[in-house]
Amino acid sequence: MNVVLSLALRRSLRRTVLLGVALGAFLFLVGLSYATVDENQIRILVESLPPAIRAFVKGSDVASPAGYLGSGFVHPITLALMAATAIAAGATSARDVETGVAELMLSRPLRRTSWLGAEIAAMVVQVTIVAVLGLLGATIAVASVDSLAPVSLTSLVITIIPLWLMFVGIGAVTVLASSFSRTGAKAIGWGTAFALVAYAIDYLSQIWTLAEPLGPLSVMHWYRPADILGDGSAPASTWLVLGGVAIVASALALLVTSRREVAP
Amino acid sequence: MSSSAAIRAEGLGKSYGHGVMALEGVDLEVGHGERLGFLGPNGAGKTTFIRLALGILRPTAGTVAINGHDITSDRLAALTDVGYVPGDLGMIKQVTGARMLDALGKLHPRPPALRDHLLKALDLNDVALRKRIREYSTGMRQKLGLVAALQHDPPVIILDEPTSGLDPVMQARLLEVLEDRARHGRTVFFSSHVLGEVDELCDRVAMVRKGKLLLVRDVDELRRARVRTVEVLFTSPVDPSAYVVDGVADFRVEGHVHHFTLAGDPGPLLARLGALAPADITIEAARLEDVFRALYLEGDA
Repeated sequence: MNVVLSLALRRSLRRTVLLGVALGAFLFLVGLSYATVDENQIRILVESLPPAIRAFVKGSDVASPAGYLGSGFVHPITLALMAATAIAAGATSARDVETGVAELMLSRPLRRTSWLGAEIAAMVVQVTIVAVLGLLGATIAVASVDSLAPVSLTSLVITIIPLWLMFVGIGAVTVLASSFSRTGAKAIGWGTAFALVAYAIDYLSQIWTLAEPLGPLSVMHWYRPADILGDGSAPASTWLVLGGVAIVASALALLVTSRREVAP
Repeated sequence: MSSSAAIRAEGLGKSYGHGVMALEGVDLEVGHGERLGFLGPNGAGKTTFIRLALGILRPTAGTVAINGHDITSDRLAALTDVGYVPGDLGMIKQVTGARMLDALGKLHPRPPALRDHLLKALDLNDVALRKRIREYSTGMRQKLGLVAALQHDPPVIILDEPTSGLDPVMQARLLEVLEDRARHGRTVFFSSHVLGEVDELCDRVAMVRKGKLLLVRDVDELRRARVRTVEVLFTSPVDPSAYVVDGVADFRVEGHVHHFTLAGDPGPLLARLGALAPADITIEAARLEDVFRALYLEGDA
């Protein structure tokens, strides 16, 4: 399993580091830009915005240090960088079936579950690297901007962990899609569709009363970074739902792969 | 059938649904130390058979075992004895050749005792191994796949069209390596549609067509049965009935020159011709390829 994990990480190292540096730079810039913000003016501005626009920051008080920095964690750029990491990593097993790498590996005395377990572990490590580099960018910003002083390092860590867990879940769903797919493109398509639908449901549930009950069906509904930054902790439901998605999707993927054919 | 054969398939079949049978009712046994050529045109079912034998695909009928280990119920034990080169070789292109070899070596419990020997035989030097696989030519990738498959000296070697992408010199080297392994008692299962290399390497051939096993024969038996082209020059008119024996066919007489084909043992014919004192006899050996083609056509019929 270690051999497959090591190969999976080596092949993706450059992409992962690039995505992580991009996320770190983005969250650093978000934090840095708070130095130029007049808290009262931005509060008035945000309150004048229609709910459909405010929903992009999940209704948090973006004028406060925690709310402003938290908006960076749910910004489409952050979500896109994390999703790109998780989905690309999650689709590796389908791509390996497509290109014959899986056939080469699994014609050795290697369990299918060990092979896929290593691919899942590699996905988790890649999402972790990107999240840690993002955390690093946000931390440097907090250390550099005096007005962000109320945001503690602990609350930043507690904020990034559910973000990490959410994208591990999206990656695991992509791994599950991979275990049904013969091509990487199909798996990427399913993973992307899952992330986009989750985003759309979460967004619509905030701006449209009729869609409000659908909110909990989206993994993104369970991630409220501004609340976590403000409270200093995430609710148990966040951990349970996001962790549950990751575990159930991974377990199903292992089950399907143990029975599937792996010929290109 | 012996339960201790290197590869044993019984009633092996693979259907993809909608009535598409990729392989049907294949019974085949490959003995320890045997070199079996697995022949068939593209799409005949060669690769499907190999993938079923390795557990890459799941059979819809029958069983297959390697060294007595059923591939479905005892896959890991079966694969411990196997070195395999796929026809469509997939490699991780972002890593170096050396890293790929190391990784594939570690996935096997047997030590890579033959690696250096194979790298030398197949002309893969340190400079090539330090390159990323994405920089490799098709031939270099194929050589790397061959070293990866054979480096741990597997008792059962399964190769799916292994010479594709190799230049003629490397093809010859590979056949030498395989001959050498066979001399050391290793079983070689060699799928190909290049008849010449099967003729050169194998003891026995199995032929598949449209998912069915047409025949399994000794190469020597095929050689003995092959049809030769014979040309005899007489100094005076001769009635062919004076020398015709069993196996002679396709007569054509041009003046004093008689052309015909001969199947089987040439001894009786030569004895009769000797009595007729011909001026010259030319016997042209038919290529084994012609025999294979004829057998395919028989299979069609």
